[in-house]
Amino acid sequence: MSELLRIEHISKRFGDFYANRDIGLTIESGEIHTLLGENGAGKSTLMNILIGLYQPTEGKIFLRGKEVRIESPSQAVNLGIGMVHQHFMLVDAMTVFENIILGDRRAKGLFVDRDARRKEIEDLAGRYGFNVQLDRLITEISVGEQQRVEILKALYRGAELLILDEPTAALTDIEVEGLFEVMEKLKAEGKSIIFISHKMREVLHISDRITILRAGENVGTVERGELDGQGLANLMIGRELSESHYEKHEPDGRTVAVMDHISYHKDSKHNGLNDVTMKIHAGEIVGIAGVDGNGQTQLAQILTGVIAPEEGSLSLKDSRVSAFDPLEFIRSGTAHVPEDRNLQGLVSDMSIADNLVLKRTETEQFSRGHGLLLKRKAISSYAADMAEKYDIRCRSIEQDVRSLSGGNQQKVILAREMESGPDLLVVAHPTRGLDIGATRFVRDQMVAARDRGVGVLLISADFDEILEMSDRILVLFEGQIMGEYSGKNPPIDEISMAMTGK
Amino acid sequence: MKKGNGSLAGVIVPVLSILLALLIGAVIMACLGANPATAMKSLVVGAFGSKPNIGTTLTKATPLIFTSLCACFAYKCGVFNLGGEGQFIIGSIAAIYVTLTTGITGVPAMILALIAGAVAGGFWGFIPGILKITRGQNEMIISIMFNYIATLLMGVVYTNWLREGSVPQTQAVPKESQLPRVITGMRFTWGFVIAVILGIVLYYFLYRTSGGFKLRAVGINPTAARFNGFPVRRYILASFIVSGAIAGLGGSAELLGTQFRLINGFASGYGFDGVAMALIGQLNPIATIFVALFFAALRAGATTMQAATGVPTSVSDIIQALVIVFTVAGMALTKLPEFTAFLQRRAHRREKEVNNA
Repeated sequence: MSELLRIEHISKRFGDFYANRDIGLTIESGEIHTLLGENGAGKSTLMNILIGLYQPTEGKIFLRGKEVRIESPSQAVNLGIGMVHQHFMLVDAMTVFENIILGDRRAKGLFVDRDARRKEIEDLAGRYGFNVQLDRLITEISVGEQQRVEILKALYRGAELLILDEPTAALTDIEVEGLFEVMEKLKAEGKSIIFISHKMREVLHISDRITILRAGENVGTVERGELDGQGLANLMIGRELSESHYEKHEPDGRTVAVMDHISYHKDSKHNGLNDVTMKIHAGEIVGIAGVDGNGQTQLAQILTGVIAPEEGSLSLKDSRVSAFDPLEFIRSGTAHVPEDRNLQGLVSDMSIADNLVLKRTETEQFSRGHGLLLKRKAISSYAADMAEKYDIRCRSIEQDVRSLSGGNQQKVILAREMESGPDLLVVAHPTRGLDIGATRFVRDQMVAARDRGVGVLLISADFDEILEMSDRILVLFEGQIMGEYSGKNPPIDEISMAMTGK
Repeated sequence: MKKGNGSLAGVIVPVLSILLALLIGAVIMACLGANPATAMKSLVVGAFGSKPNIGTTLTKATPLIFTSLCACFAYKCGVFNLGGEGQFIIGSIAAIYVTLTTGITGVPAMILALIAGAVAGGFWGFIPGILKITRGQNEMIISIMFNYIATLLMGVVYTNWLREGSVPQTQAVPKESQLPRVITGMRFTWGFVIAVILGIVLYYFLYRTSGGFKLRAVGINPTAARFNGFPVRRYILASFIVSGAIAGLGGSAELLGTQFRLINGFASGYGFDGVAMALIGQLNPIATIFVALFFAALRAGATTMQAATGVPTSVSDIIQALVIVFTVAGMALTKLPEFTAFLQRRAHRREKEVNNA
């Protein structure tokens, strides 16, 4: 085998933040090389450098021993680097054939020699055993087939190195097997593949070599069989148990929410839930660990009535929910700090004061006659109190929420949700993008709520946060609960394995 | 209510747009060989120079206020009702049936006709609304298409069902059922008063009640509204119905107060005029009333201008169009990141200066 690509000391800095730091990596011809890492480990940044979307801050890239600079995606194509993104870049309203020849540099002038192109594509498909129907519209073919179209598109443009970004995420088991067959064939033809995944089973099955990234750095490249799943997971997660700032609680017996065999889009591994049964007790923080996109969003939305499960039942405070409607959930004491602050949590073009009273404009406190006349003064003075109590730093409470920093926006949501006096608090990624001070404040508030007897469900892609906060930890993988662990001295090894599906 | 740069730009941009449009209008007048100062003066005299002239301006403003409030209300809830014209026409059809066929006359007929107009307009708004929330259909397309249906239906009414003799028009609303004038010697009727009161009521609703608060929240961010327990779809449907009812009420008021009969060209253009005026008025119902008055003044004064100085009335149309173009462009400008950054830099500098002083 010969070396196809070598990168040396690649770093990519955004402001003060290193997304990649001093990464070295070689890709041989005809190998399947896996990049393993958590969310935010720097995989995507590195790939974006390889396909010319980002320029590295430092470092060199060599292709077949010659140094290259990849300044644009089209240059990457010319160098024989093709990428299949996790979200396909296909034009739905066009046929498979049209998608493949779209943007073909050889098609000069106004006319395309369709017959010749078609012949070429058919030959290529035949060589790799692809079964694609060239004249179907993208909308008419399955996800697995769309993926083959993407791969074919990259091959048609002469890719020698193929980057597959979480290619199995959207596929069914059978489709995954089909993909692996294709990958083996490509390998046999001498093509190289960079395979990005965090599903241990697949990684162990298909990879020739595995490089593990953690926090932007290469923490090791291993040959197939050198490490078992546990060893890889330990490298990938790389955590030592540190003392939590917070005292962990044993819940008392009362439950605030019970999910009984709940399923939602259960055949989809991505963004679905499959037979989830769990309880949230009063006075505990239940942490949901797992890689993003394994059903966390759906779990939070079902628990707050935004979406309805397809199977199973949910009880809040021992009464079974009949209608999944956010208003009903709010009335029965559910509060929600949603994952997307600006989209789901706040009406950003309204003022801080307006957002603080959002759900309560009809109450006696803020209006006369059930909302017939808003009490502006009461709203203002309440908002001023909240800004004080929750440390919302602003010029004025009449300022648009949009103009606040992320941390202060989160405090507005937190103030609104905490002040509703909830029994169940569903919190998703509460400290994402927040600075240390704001993070600490948000976490303190969650613990304070727990100590008041609120049942808290914490969803976070930040494993440290889960370990730090949770009284009990559940692991979600492909929509299933993979295990339940105590938050006191949690078995990190086991949890990290569960997060990768083993 | 919002304070700060957002609403300041909301006042400055339309005012500057109007001044700029008038300036270009003056240049055009000069190019046509007229003295711009004289022509402008005759425009103003034509609109406000005498009691009858003011009356004419207010009369012309009345339907525009209704259709612009119609557009404004739906926009506030984040949906685009481009069907104001159709709803206006349906309202006037309902009104003509009430006054001509029920045998009721006088004040009861007026009240009944106004209510019937509002109900019919509301129904015409309900259809695109319900299609939007249950089937996800594009409300703009459907409401525009319903304009054509309404216009053609009106055609059937004045050429067939309620045709008066050989002329393709309906009979006139009987004298005793016509909306009375508010002040003798001025043409405008109680329809104008209703329009202004409606604007004030809408302002109160939008900015002083919980329902209006929620409606605005739905308009700004329907996802957050849903997460916070607002019945988003119900608000969207309701805003369409109310928006249609406003236009329908306008249609019946126009019929009872000004036109008296349905005829080819009735209400033509009012719907889209309303949309433009609502935008210039920054979707504020009170501001919208003033914008409608301004446009009505340009229209009322144009005839006098043409008679006095020979400048054609179409110059007035050009000015109106320029106001719309400049306002829309101006608002787009203030939303550019470069522009907001510039404002912020200036604000920071000023803050510093204040601190140093």
